[in-house]
Amino acid sequence: MGLPSGGLTTTVFYVIFTIILFAVSFLWAPRIQAYTALNDVKKNLEKLQVLKDASRREAIGYVNTVMKSSKDAQARVDQFLEYFTIMPVDLDPNGIVGKIEHVTRLQDDRIRDELKALSPGADPVQISVAQNILEVATSLNMIFKIVRHFYIQGQKTKSYFILVQLQMIMPMLVQESEALMSAVDAFKQAQPIGDGLGPMVAGKLMVGKEKVTVERETVYAVTEYKGRKLFVLKAEGPMGTVGRPQVGVEKIINDPNNKISTVIMVDAALKLEGENTGEVAEGIGAAIGGIGVEKFRIEAAATAKDIPMYAIVVKQSLIDAISVMKKEIAEATDKTIERVNRLVEEKTKEGDTVLLVGVGNTLGVAQ
Amino acid sequence: MAQMFPSIGEKRPKMPVFTIEDCPQCGTKTKRAFKLGDFVYREGGECAKCHAKTIISMIYAELIKVQ
Repeated sequence: MGLPSGGLTTTVFYVIFTIILFAVSFLWAPRIQAYTALNDVKKNLEKLQVLKDASRREAIGYVNTVMKSSKDAQARVDQFLEYFTIMPVDLDPNGIVGKIEHVTRLQDDRIRDELKALSPGADPVQISVAQNILEVATSLNMIFKIVRHFYIQGQKTKSYFILVQLQMIMPMLVQESEALMSAVDAFKQAQPIGDGLGPMVAGKLMVGKEKVTVERETVYAVTEYKGRKLFVLKAEGPMGTVGRPQVGVEKIINDPNNKISTVIMVDAALKLEGENTGEVAEGIGAAIGGIGVEKFRIEAAATAKDIPMYAIVVKQSLIDAISVMKKEIAEATDKTIERVNRLVEEKTKEGDTVLLVGVGNTLGVAQ
Repeated sequence: MAQMFPSIGEKRPKMPVFTIEDCPQCGTKTKRAFKLGDFVYREGGECAKCHAKTIISMIYAELIKVQ
C-alpha cells in the first residue's frame, strides 16, 4: 500500500520549499544582512545629521547674537567647520612633538584671530566659548562626514563587511555625538564642566593670592602649606581654555630660584563602566590628556631634574567631563585638596617647594 | 584596551544648575539658581547672617527628584 497521493504532494512541496529556502538563505543571506545593516546605519546617520546641523546653528547663533558679529557669521562658520589640520610627517620621528605643537598652536591661533576679526567687540570669555562651540560643531561635522562616506561606499559596493563594521560602532558614535552636543549648553552659559575639576582645585588654593601670568592663558600663584612653598598653576579662568601648562611647568621648574622638589598634577580622568563618578584616585606620572605634546614636555622637564611626579584624578564619564559639572564632581574638590595636602605632608619635608598643576578646561572657574 | 573605550555615560536629562555661595567669615553656605555671569571664585552677594561678602565656591548641575 503506497502513500496517499495528497500526502506525497505535500511532502514533495515541503522538500522543494526547504531546498529553495536553503538556497536563498545560502546565496542571499549576506545581501539580506547588508540590507538590514544599511537601514540601521541610515537611521543613525540621520541622527548624526540632526546633531551636526543643531551644533552648526548653535555656533552661528552664538557668534551672531551673543558676540554681535559685525558680519553675517553663517558663511564664516561654515568655513571654520571645514578647516583641517595636516599633521607633520612621522617617517623620521625625531622632533615630531615640536612639529605637532607648532601645527596645533597655529590652528588654535587662526580660529581665535578670525573670531576676533568677526566680532571685534567680543570679550575673551565669549571668544573662548565660541571656540569651544566651534570645536564641538567641527567634531560632529567630521563624524557625520566619515560615517556618510562609509555608508555610501557600503551602498555602492553592497559590501557586507564595510556595513557591518559601521553598524557595530554606530551606537558608540551616536552616544559620543550626543555627549558632544550636550556640552554646548554648558559652553553657551560659561558654566564649569566636569573637566574643570583640576582648575577648581588649583583655583581654590589661589584665591586671594597674587597671580602671575607665566604664559598665554596660564597663571600661577605662590602659597604655603605646613612649611612648604607651593607654586599653584592653572589655565586662566573663567575663559574656556586649558592654557599652556607645559610651558608654565617648564618655566617654573627651570627657574633656579624655585628649586621644585615635587610635582603634583590634578586632572579629571575618564572612568570605566562600573566606577563611581567623583571617585578620587592617586597615581604616579603626568596626569594630562590631549594629543601628548603637553605630557611629553612636562615629563621631559621633570625627568631632566629628577623630580618625582604624583597624579590625583577624579573619575567621570565622557558626558560628565564635557557637560555642566555634576554635584558629585564639584564636591570632590575638597576631597582632592585633602589628598594633595596628605601627599605634600608625606612626600616632602619642611622647606621644600612643590608645584601643583590643576589640569583641564577652566571655563567658569576663576582663581 | 578598556582605556580606549571609556564610559560614555548615561544620557543626562536637563538638570537645573545651582550656584553655591560661601561666606568666608561665618561659613554660611547659600544655594541659589545659576545666573548668567556667575563663575567659581567670583565675589558673590552679601551674607544673610553676617553681611560679609560671599564667594562663589561651586556651580553644579543636580538632578532634582520630584516626590
